Amino acid sequence: MTPGRLAGRRALITGGASGIGLACARRLLAEGAAAVLLDRRADALASAAGTGAAPVACDIRDPGAVAAAVARAAGLLGGPADVLVNSAGVYRIAPLLDLTPREWDDVLAVNLRGTFLAGRAVAAALIEAGLPGAIVNISSTAGLLADASEPSAHYNASKAGVLALTRQMAAEWAPHGIRANAVCPGVIDTPMLRLMDDPAAGAAYLQADVPQRRLGSADEVAAVIVFLVSDDASYLTGAAVPVDGGITAI
Amino acid sequence: MRAIVTGAARGLGAAIAGRLARDGADVALLDMSVDVMASAGRLAGDVGAAGDAGGAGRQVAVGLVADVSDENACAAAVDRAVHAIGGVDVLVNNAGIGGPDTDVTRTSLAEFRRVLDVNLTGIFLMCREVARVMIGQGSGGAIVNLGSVFGQQGVAGGAGYCASKAGVALLTHSLALELAPHNIRANTIAPGNMATEMHWDELRSRAARSGGTFDEQVEMVRASVPLGRHGTGGDIAGVVAWLVSPDAGYVTGQTIGVNGGIWLS
Repeated sequence: MTPGRLAGRRALITGGASGIGLACARRLLAEGAAAVLLDRRADALASAAGTGAAPVACDIRDPGAVAAAVARAAGLLGGPADVLVNSAGVYRIAPLLDLTPREWDDVLAVNLRGTFLAGRAVAAALIEAGLPGAIVNISSTAGLLADASEPSAHYNASKAGVLALTRQMAAEWAPHGIRANAVCPGVIDTPMLRLMDDPAAGAAYLQADVPQRRLGSADEVAAVIVFLVSDDASYLTGAAVPVDGGITAI
Repeated sequence: MRAIVTGAARGLGAAIAGRLARDGADVALLDMSVDVMASAGRLAGDVGAAGDAGGAGRQVAVGLVADVSDENACAAAVDRAVHAIGGVDVLVNNAGIGGPDTDVTRTSLAEFRRVLDVNLTGIFLMCREVARVMIGQGSGGAIVNLGSVFGQQGVAGGAGYCASKAGVALLTHSLALELAPHNIRANTIAPGNMATEMHWDELRSRAARSGGTFDEQVEMVRASVPLGRHGTGGDIAGVVAWLVSPDAGYVTGQTIGVNGGIWLS
């Protein structure tokens, strides 16, 4: 925590009303940034009102809604957002043979299309204004590894897609001074986590498959995201940074 | 925080030691060059002059001369560092040398072995000595080893260097798995093309071989980097400062590329 490190920065966080997005918003605010939260769920946005971030309801799948929300955020922030955290995402479990095309499309629409839409809208505004910026997309260790015990091909494919999208953002927008990186959270203690639904199986997984032998916290992921948007990461772009207690080192 | 930084007489190592000291760490600077004594003295003066929050008796910066590829010298240097700064919480293995920059058919065994000895075996030796101390202290720790983008992709004329840096990454990730139960994290930083004397020497060598100029070589490299510039010691030091902090508390066994996007295509 470095108070003032992000003073003057204008942050937009999608999926900002809960989980990693909300932890990010708190950390960005604590380090001096102004922040706007985008979320589809009005009730969740209302409960996040105490953070000091401005809420904007938005369905991240809808290009018109995203364009309107990014413009509204610029008004609330006093200029185009120069920090974008793409945290909006959904998680579903279904074995491939039971996975319907509709379920496939629904997950891809939020996790991959939504990241593309928000990233494009924010970058276009920055490039138009001639301003630098930093984007962090939330991928997952599921974008790097398969998992037969918690099958989720649509989620995994969406998160692998986010990594390719991130590299392309970094390559295309580097000449404009916009950096783009991804984080790959492992098993993080958020409402989206399903691992601990069976506590005994979850505990066994932590012992056997997570070198640090514990869940990560949303705050720990937020700390990495805030580093990535800070000037300490000024030569880092196109990277995928696992925040997973060592899962991907095995 | 008590930190040991190797290869700290100049370049990236000096920048890393400087950043950690300014962030409040007591730092032991280790190098095979005796110049490290002057570097440590300057750093102690700079940080001390800026206000020493640690109060009297604090060892802001201590210089130590040792060749990391020498087993006995490593053990002695770690022992002296631990006595000077009162323990060790952070190890940054930055010491490294460039390769011979020759085709494999003209590379001598001695040249190949020297690169591996310094860049890979030296990191093993330092990690082994420091891990023993950290485990004994029982308070966890963080290790950052300097790999390279040229440990992630090959380069003609750089077989020994590339092999040594690829080895660093897997050495580090294995240590991360072994040391996680002791709450010791270990990660690799893979710098891209950095504005250091080591890189300029390499470009001079390339210019001489190709018949071009040094400036042309610098421009060619710069133009290949999406962010449009060489990296600086500050760029690496910023990532080190993060990796050894609680902000990276759930990050271990990873390679962090700090390369301006050069690894993208």
